[in-house]
Formats: sequence, C-alpha cells, structure tokens
Amino acid sequence: MMHEITFFLNEKEVTCKVKPATVLLDLIRDGFELKGTKPGCHEGECGACTVLVNDAPVNSCLFLAVNANGKRITTIEGLTNKDGSLHAVQEVLVESGAVQCGFCTSGMAMSIKAMLHQYESGHHVPGESLKNLPDREEIKKYLEGNLCRCTGYVKIIDAAEKLFAKEV
Amino acid sequence: MEFNIINPVSVKELLGAVKKEKHFRFGAGCTDLLMELRKKPDEGLTVINLAQVKDNSFTGIKKSAKGIRMGAMFTAHQIVMNEELKKTFPVLHDSAHNLASTQIRQVATVGGNLCTASPSGDIACALVALRADCELLNTTQKTRTVNISTFFTGVRQTALKPNEVLYGISIPANHKNTKNNYSGFIKVGTRRSMECSVVSLAYHIQVNVEGKILKAGVAIGASAPTVRLAESACDFLIGKTFKNITQKEKEEFADKVLSYASPITDIRATAWYRKEVLYNISKSIFE
Repeated sequence: MMHEITFFLNEKEVTCKVKPATVLLDLIRDGFELKGTKPGCHEGECGACTVLVNDAPVNSCLFLAVNANGKRITTIEGLTNKDGSLHAVQEVLVESGAVQCGFCTSGMAMSIKAMLHQYESGHHVPGESLKNLPDREEIKKYLEGNLCRCTGYVKIIDAAEKLFAKEV
Repeated sequence: MEFNIINPVSVKELLGAVKKEKHFRFGAGCTDLLMELRKKPDEGLTVINLAQVKDNSFTGIKKSAKGIRMGAMFTAHQIVMNEELKKTFPVLHDSAHNLASTQIRQVATVGGNLCTASPSGDIACALVALRADCELLNTTQKTRTVNISTFFTGVRQTALKPNEVLYGISIPANHKNTKNNYSGFIKVGTRRSMECSVVSLAYHIQVNVEGKILKAGVAIGASAPTVRLAESACDFLIGKTFKNITQKEKEEFADKVLSYASPITDIRATAWYRKEVLYNISKSIFE
C-alpha cells in the first residue's frame, strides 16, 4: 500500500506517495531527482547521505520516508543561498581546500550546518556550554558520523573551525 | 526490503494496531530495524511505526520526588542535551553521548535500545546500573512495571509480551544524603565512534559527604547474553569509603564483577580478552 505524505523539501511544500519501506535517501534522489545527497554504505556508518530533518542531521538511508510527513527536510541543494550563491558552510569548505574526491562533502556540509544551527540557537551539550566556540575536539565529536575515505579530515575540521570563528 | 507499515498517531491507535496485528515489529528510530530487515527480509511483516505517536508520556521526560521518568521514545540526543540527567545520572549521559554517531543519536530512542536487547546496548547498560524500572503498557491499557534487570531474558529477548509496548523508563532518585557521586560509563572498542562495545562497564556509586558509599550500581555489557547487574560487587562496596578502597579490595571487587561475565569469542574479541579487559576496567573506576 502506498502512503501519501506532505512535507517541506528545501522550503517548498511537496506531496507524494511512498511505499512503506522507502527510505528518505531514495525518495530524495529518485523521486525528486536531487542527486547531491550521496548513497554510501546504506548502514548509517558513513554519513554521506546526511540531510537535515527539522534542522537535525540524520542518515537519510535509515530514515523512513513516511516519517518525513509534516517535517522540514533540507538537502545540500537547499543549503545554497536564495540568490544562488554558496552558503557560508560551502564557501568555507572551498576556501579551506576541504574537498578532495567530494563524495563525503555534501554530508559533511550538512553536518557542519547542523552544528552551526545548534550553536546559533544556544543549544550546547551540557558542560560544553560555557565556551562560546566549539573547539576542535567538539567539532570532531560532532562530525564522528561522517567518513571521508580520502582521509581529508584536517582541512574539513579547519574549515568548520574557521566558520565558527566567523559566524558564532 | 519490503514490509507493511502502520502509522498510529495516538496511544489508542497504537494499542489498536498491537491488538490487530499478528506478525509485527515495532519501529522507533528504526536505525537497527532497517539494517536487520535489509539483511534478513521478513515476509509479511508489519512495522508498527512509533515515530508519529503524539503522547507526552511516550516521548517526554518528567522529574518527580521519586526520580526521573523518560518516555520510551525519548532519544539519545535528548538524553545528551538534558542538563538534569547529566547532573544527576552522569553514567546515562556518558552512555548516550558515546552511542553510535551524531546522526544516529537524533533518532535512536531509549526504548529502542532496550527492546533490541543487545548484550552490548550502551544505554541499556547505564540503565541497569541505575536500577531503572520499565513500564509496560498492554492492549487493555493496563501497565505493569518490571525492573530492568529482569526485562532482559536473553540475547535479543525481553520480558515484553505480544500484547505489550514499552511505554516508559523510570530511574529512581539518588539517595538524599549523597553528594559528588562517582558515575560513569567505560566503553572499550577498537575506535571511538560508531563502535559496538567490545566490553562496557556502567557504574553509579552514591557517596555521602564523607565519601562513604551508600548505594552502588555496577552493570556489565557485551560480556554475557544480556547486560547484567553485578549485584554482589555492588553489595561489596556498601559502607566502604570510596577514596580509601585498598588495592586488595579493588581486586576483590573486580573478581566479583567478573563472576557475572560469560563472554563469547566473536569477530570483535575473544572471550579471554573480554574478561581481561573487564577485570582491568573494573579496578580502574577507583583510580
């Protein structure tokens, strides 16, 4: 049986029908032809498929499409500013040379965006809240669910650190 | 991967679905379930999707004089971000903070971690050390409470009956005369993130202002068919002063913890290794 769902995809309200076992990753890529979200391990290990559900980062390979109903979903395509220019997260990744093969990049960008949102809205892990800026260890901890097989972590963490220094 | 799905939005609808369906599994955060079903399809299965149920007792957290009660759908992320939990039960905070990854923690639930009943369940291990109670709701809307150490009946098996759903988890309040408790979660694995524990140890040791141990909870993970409370090791600590525990007493304590372990050899570690590590981390909590 197909289930009808309505949700906001990159700020645009959409309605579609999905099978019970369809995951959000497949709906985004095949249903809406948004190929920026990458399929990696299909096991929630690599984070290449990270998207934001109501601003929280989730593995779209393990998120049932039916549960997108009523939610705000943001993909890498929705990160870009309205005028088409790159979002600060994307810009800082480019500036820092934090992109090698690029496969992990959209997932990394979404996780960094989620962390930025968390700090901007004043939510911290208790105990870490006394600091104004997340330090490298906290960035590493937040990005623990995103793998880079080129092992380009140093520049990615540099990029996040630069971003926080600028934005928070 | 194929299955049918029911999406109840209220507890009444949820219980109706449990009553009606014969061959079903609950889906909470679905992070374990989807992987399992991808590897091992289950023909004719109905997933009762818990993610859309709107009910504060099922999704929220409440503090009372008796302690803290979390709904079964409270997520690992919510545990991590909760100041009160971090302050009162550091072992629970630590276990949730070290669970899987940031992304998984957003959706993975405390109820899911318990009902999966993995011997290496991290939150499960912390809740056993905290001597939590599980509140089970049946299709006639009656609840029964079982202590968490009797909730786990075997590898991936629980005391949950076919007409029941895990509704909430209650953690008893700390002893009123305790201060600066020793509470933490030690997880041993081959890497820090996204790791299934090779051995884990959860401890929550409550001491009074002089440092005398009034209450203790110590649980072991990935060392037996279920997470287990090391009851005799807990009893051994009562009345002792935490900081004055001697080397001999540390060893005796670690021996008692070890007596609850019956680990297996698998892809992650040998049984011998697990026992050695468990013995050593048990001693390390006093250092």
